[in-house]
Amino acid sequence: MFWKKKRIESKLAAQSIAESELSIEALKKSLVQMDDAEFVEIDVSDIRKIHLVYIRTLIDQEKLNESIIKPLTNCSKPDLQDCIVNSSIIPIPIFIEAKKQLFSGSILLFDSSQNLWLAVPLQNPIGRAIETSETETILFGAKDSFSEQIEQNITLIRRRLPIHELKAEKFTVGSMSETSVVLMYIEGLTNPDFVSTVKEKISEINFDLFFDSSQIAAFMEENQNSIFPQLQQTDRPDVVAYSLGLGKITLLVDNTPFALVAPITFFHLFQSPEDYINRWAVSSFLRILRYISFILSITLIPFYVALTTHHYQMIPIQTLLVLVDSRSKLPFTPFWEAFIMLIFIEIIKEASLRMPTKTGQTLGVIGGIVIGQAAVEAGFASNVLIVMVGISTIASFLIPNYLMTKANSFIQLMLLVFSSLFGIIGIALGIIAILAHLNSLSSIKQPYFSPVSPFFGKDWIDLFIRGPLDKMLERPKHLKPLKLKRYKTRR
Amino acid sequence: MCLYKKICKRLILLFMTFWLSGCAPFTENNLIEEISPVTFLSISKGDEGKLKVSTIMPPLSKENKFVMSQEVSLLKEGVQKYNLNFYQEIKYGQMRMLLISDELGKDGIMSIINVLLTDPDISLRIYLVIVKGNFDEYLESQLDKDENFDYSFYRMLKHYEEKNQGELTVVNLHQFKNLLYTPYSDPFLPVFKIEEDGVNYEGTALFQDDKLVETISSLDDRIFQLINNNHYLSVLPIPEFEVVLGHVRSKIIVDIDSSYSTMTYTVKIDTRIEEYRGEKQLFDPKQLENMKKDIEIHLEKQTHELIKKMQELKVDPLQLGIQTKRPFSKPMEEKKWIEMFEKMDIKIKYKINIDPLTDANSKRQNF
Repeated sequence: MFWKKKRIESKLAAQSIAESELSIEALKKSLVQMDDAEFVEIDVSDIRKIHLVYIRTLIDQEKLNESIIKPLTNCSKPDLQDCIVNSSIIPIPIFIEAKKQLFSGSILLFDSSQNLWLAVPLQNPIGRAIETSETETILFGAKDSFSEQIEQNITLIRRRLPIHELKAEKFTVGSMSETSVVLMYIEGLTNPDFVSTVKEKISEINFDLFFDSSQIAAFMEENQNSIFPQLQQTDRPDVVAYSLGLGKITLLVDNTPFALVAPITFFHLFQSPEDYINRWAVSSFLRILRYISFILSITLIPFYVALTTHHYQMIPIQTLLVLVDSRSKLPFTPFWEAFIMLIFIEIIKEASLRMPTKTGQTLGVIGGIVIGQAAVEAGFASNVLIVMVGISTIASFLIPNYLMTKANSFIQLMLLVFSSLFGIIGIALGIIAILAHLNSLSSIKQPYFSPVSPFFGKDWIDLFIRGPLDKMLERPKHLKPLKLKRYKTRR
Repeated sequence: MCLYKKICKRLILLFMTFWLSGCAPFTENNLIEEISPVTFLSISKGDEGKLKVSTIMPPLSKENKFVMSQEVSLLKEGVQKYNLNFYQEIKYGQMRMLLISDELGKDGIMSIINVLLTDPDISLRIYLVIVKGNFDEYLESQLDKDENFDYSFYRMLKHYEEKNQGELTVVNLHQFKNLLYTPYSDPFLPVFKIEEDGVNYEGTALFQDDKLVETISSLDDRIFQLINNNHYLSVLPIPEFEVVLGHVRSKIIVDIDSSYSTMTYTVKIDTRIEEYRGEKQLFDPKQLENMKKDIEIHLEKQTHELIKKMQELKVDPLQLGIQTKRPFSKPMEEKKWIEMFEKMDIKIKYKINIDPLTDANSKRQNF
């Protein structure tokens, strides 16, 4: 009974602050012990005194002088709103609204003579300039990428899609971080089911802090335990604009340079923005190469282990000569040999990410020598395995999606265990399990393995190959767009 | 409880996957560093009806090698005895060649073939070879000279097998089994002879069922390659006319009359003259025509003798019996066919087409 009473009391207290009258004293009380909160008084004329309240670190100080203090001191007009001309002015009625404006980088003006509270947004423009994307680098094509400021990111997208159908709905998530999330889609093209699903999921978010879009993605995903990303993260505005144009939705999250694109399929993870820049035959070849290297990177070492532990009959005799020779003096079984090398590669990969670039080179050399030469000479690993580890590691980097590259090593290790236990049957079972899992996944309630299953034959023109653009006259059917045709009228 | 049930279901499913697929839970240890996969076995006649099985140990690795041979009454017993004498386990899975001595071949090799066929570890693509002479002794002498004698021998057979090079007869277990068990056909195998300078190809061994009956060599063997085995020869030297025919390709037309008494065997050959050291002026069409006739007659004679030999031995490696098959009628019994084949009058016809050769043309007079 006691705690219940206390809760009611605290609720009442909160209400009283919220409803308390907006006054300088009340603001001072709530901004106590904040070094960067400023309360300034300006005498405009003898009778009029204007109070300015702002958080110094959140606003643009230069602009404050230029567009507020200067006009105010020279102003002779009776109405405060008339004095400030080159900024938007928002009148604020209640305390809560005032605080919200204050912490989003506005200046509060209080005219004591009129008892009028106004807010002028003057956000500090500190932030990164538009730079080249580092996670999805391409040689040709647009070089700009998203930055941390959400407004700027929307600008980059709007420039590419200057149509009024492009909608941008704003939501706020996170009880502490108050992160703004913008949902973008093209009205009349994007399937409304996607929009409503995403809206529903956003409204269900109940969490305090968000500092990256991947956390939003975690709340959007239907299967959080999967190793496969169910939303695409990209920092390229051209990718986002292209996806929007096909009928997907995009989520922009404040303070993150990565936008979320959904729904995606497994095959999206193998598509690079450069595919649409290269000649179609070339990019088809590259795309097929990516699929092959994905399969290679997950199965090459498991195959080595399966063949050397269970199916010696299947090894070509030329290879067997080399293998018998290099394996005869090793202390480990093929499984442990491969396992140790793979873990070692993962350690080097992870370490090189965290290292500063200058020390990174040393790491590369040491890693290369240790893995390549010393391991073989010391008799820890066979040189055949070293070659395979090298090939499969490099092959795993061909996948454009970085999250997928990480998932890759995980699958590889899983198949490795299977192959050492059951041989090639183990690998087959492992792959069946992966395929079954992929088929069970969904991205904002759309099947993850389409257009293969469920089957959409026409979408295959942009699946394993990237067909010529003038043949891609229809948007992908598996995205269920409201407008299927990409052209206005047929010639 | 629900979770427990779910896990139970999954475990049962996993168990069934292995159980129903016939995967044995007890697997042999096939770790590559712990086994010795033999690449070939040489089988010859031992004392008192026993088999003498020998191979080079250890196979594949670069350790000091030695020849291991055992006299046993059963083939698999030999390998079991190897295991007792060597630190690694012997495995069959990488066997590539089976060398059978000609003496053993004459007694019949059906039992050996059946052992190989029923072992799932042994590939059907292992090469069968007949060896004349003491192969074990030869192996002993080769150990110091040639480390990978077995491997290079295998590479040679593999080379001539692919794309029918026409130099050697190469037969693998699968082909041998097919020839052995299909009606109207008799198997054949290559024969290698141990001589002082090495193992040399001698010719083709003809089998009557599973028993070696005859070895054909030199020109006979060449003709056999041309009319049956490969239908191609890269060179066909005919020293009688001081000529070498190159890139010889053949087409066979067999015609049996309705009473099965005569058979016309027409061989159409497309070739060109590779080398000529005789007196004839080849750019003279008449003389070329004469030579063509000579070659045709010579080959006809040789082939006739070869087929006659087959008739006498009652072997039919050319599978001529297939020609007696007619649609909508019961195939003839093999025994009946062999009887008929023995008495059959076989006419051989060669039709040679010699492609003009640039070298010959260059000598042509300007007119």
